[in-house]
Amino acid sequence: MAVDDLSFTIEAGTITGFLGPNGAGKTTTLRMLLGLANPTSGHATIFGVPYTDLPTPAMRVGAVLEATDFHPGRSGRDHLRTLSRAAGLPDSRVDEVLGLVELTSAAKRRVKGYSLGMRQRLGLAAALLGNPDLLVLDEPANGLDPEGVRWLRDFLRDFASGGRTVLVSSHVLAEVAQTVDQVLIINHGRLVTESSLDALTMKATVAVRVRSPKIAELADALTREGLVSMTTNDHALLVHNATSERVGDIAFAAGLAIHELMSETSSLEEVFLDLTSGESS
Amino acid sequence: MNQLRAELLKIRSTRTTIGLLLGMILLALIFIVLTCTLSPMNQIFTEQDQVSLLSFGSIAGVFSALAGIMLVTSEYRFGTMRPTFLFNPNRSRLFASKAIAGLLAGLVFGVIAEGLTFAIGLAILEGRHVHIVMSGSNMTMLIVGAVVGTALWGIIGVGLGAIIRNQVGAVIALLAFGFVVENLVFGLLPSVGRFLPVHAGNSMMGFTGQHYLSGTIGTVVLVAWAVVLAGAGLAAIKGRDVQ
Repeated sequence: MAVDDLSFTIEAGTITGFLGPNGAGKTTTLRMLLGLANPTSGHATIFGVPYTDLPTPAMRVGAVLEATDFHPGRSGRDHLRTLSRAAGLPDSRVDEVLGLVELTSAAKRRVKGYSLGMRQRLGLAAALLGNPDLLVLDEPANGLDPEGVRWLRDFLRDFASGGRTVLVSSHVLAEVAQTVDQVLIINHGRLVTESSLDALTMKATVAVRVRSPKIAELADALTREGLVSMTTNDHALLVHNATSERVGDIAFAAGLAIHELMSETSSLEEVFLDLTSGESS
Repeated sequence: MNQLRAELLKIRSTRTTIGLLLGMILLALIFIVLTCTLSPMNQIFTEQDQVSLLSFGSIAGVFSALAGIMLVTSEYRFGTMRPTFLFNPNRSRLFASKAIAGLLAGLVFGVIAEGLTFAIGLAILEGRHVHIVMSGSNMTMLIVGAVVGTALWGIIGVGLGAIIRNQVGAVIALLAFGFVVENLVFGLLPSVGRFLPVHAGNSMMGFTGQHYLSGTIGTVVLVAWAVVLAGAGLAAIKGRDVQ
C-alpha cells in the first residue's frame, strides 16, 4: 500500500514542505489529491471535497507535477492557451502569467527550444493561470541550476506573502529548508512528522562525544551537573546540549580521565534521515 | 464548449495536423491524377468503375483516424494529459470534447480530400471524353458518404488512441487493421468482412459489389463502430490512473 490514512492541514500564507524519501508516497498522495489517480479504497479530498468536484479546480489549486509536460512542437503561449480555454479564461490572462514567470519574450517559440529552467517556469505559469489560492509543486527543484532554484524560492516567497499557500514536495530537506515554514514528513505512506521548520531545527542539537575508562562515574558526574547523556554502542557517552569545554571541566573536577572528547553537530538533514529511517525498521 | 475550443486549438497549434493534411493532399493528388490519366478506357466506363475511381478521397479516413489518435496519444506521450486533467477533471466531458474535435477535424479532411479528388478526377475523365454514367444522386452519395465516413474515422481514432494510449502502438493497430486484417477477413469471409469499418464505409459511398451492404446499413454499421470505439475509449479514460 503506497499511502494509508494520511491527512494533513496546511495554513494559508505559508509554504509547506512535503517531505519523504523516494518511494514514500509523496507523488501518489498528490496524484490522488488532484484526481489523477483513484485510491484503491476510500477517497481523497482537498478543500473538503474531491478535486473532481471543485467547480473550476484551476481557480482553487494550481499544480505542477512534472517539469516536462509539454508538446515540444507547440509554442509556450499556445500551451497555456489550450489550458486557459479549458478553464474559460481569456488570452489576456495567458499573457499576464507569461509576464509573471518572465517568459514573455520566448512565448511564441516552440517548447522544444526551451531550457529546463524555462520549462519549469512555463509549468508554473500554467499552474498560475487560474490565480489559485493553493500552489502544489512536486519536486520542483529537480534538475534546476542554482540560479533557477533561487528564482523559484523568491517566487514562492512572494506568492505566499500575499496570503496564499504553497505545498512543495521534495526528497531532500536541504533543497527546501531555505524556502519552507512548515514541514510534513511522510514515510511508507504515513505521516511521520508535522511541525514548523523551527521546531525541527531545534532537534538538530549539538552533542559532545566523550570516552573515559570510568564511564559510569562520568555519566553520574554529568547528571549531577544537569546534563543528559547516553551510552553509545562503542562505549562512549553522547552528551546532549553541551560544549566540549563544559564536559571536560566536569570530568576534571570529578578527577576522571578522558580518552576522547569531541563535539558533534547533527544537521537538519540527519534529523530528517532519523525521522524517515526509524519507520522502516 | 470551453474544452472543445481547447481541443480544437490543440489540433491547430502543432505541425502534426498540417503535416497529415499535406500528406493526405499529396497522396490524393498523385493517385487521382495517375489513375484517371493512365487507366485504360475499358476500365473506367461502368458506373462502379467511376465510383471506385472517384471515391479515392476516402483515403482521408486514414488521416482523419491518425489525427484522432494523435489528439489522445500525444497527450500521454508528452505528459500534457496531466495538466489537461487538472484543468478539466470531468473525464466524460473531456473525452466527448476530443471525440467531437476528432469528428470536426475529420470533416475538414474529408471535404478537402474528396472535394479535390472528385473535382480533379471528373475534370480529367471529361478531358478524355469518358462518358460519365454516374447519376446525380450517386454522385451525392459518393461525396457525402466519403466526407461523413472520414469524419466518423476521426472519432474511431480518438477511441482507439484512448484504448491503446501508446502512439506507435495505436498507429500500427490502425494501419494493420485497416489495410491488412480487414482485407483478409473480407477476402476469406465476405459475409463478416462487409461489416468491418472500411468496407462499411465503402458501401456508404455507393460501392455495390455482390457482398457489399446497402448504403443505409453501411452508414449504420460505421456509426456503430464509432460509437463502440468511443464508448470503449471513454471507459478507458475514466478507469485508468494518470501516471
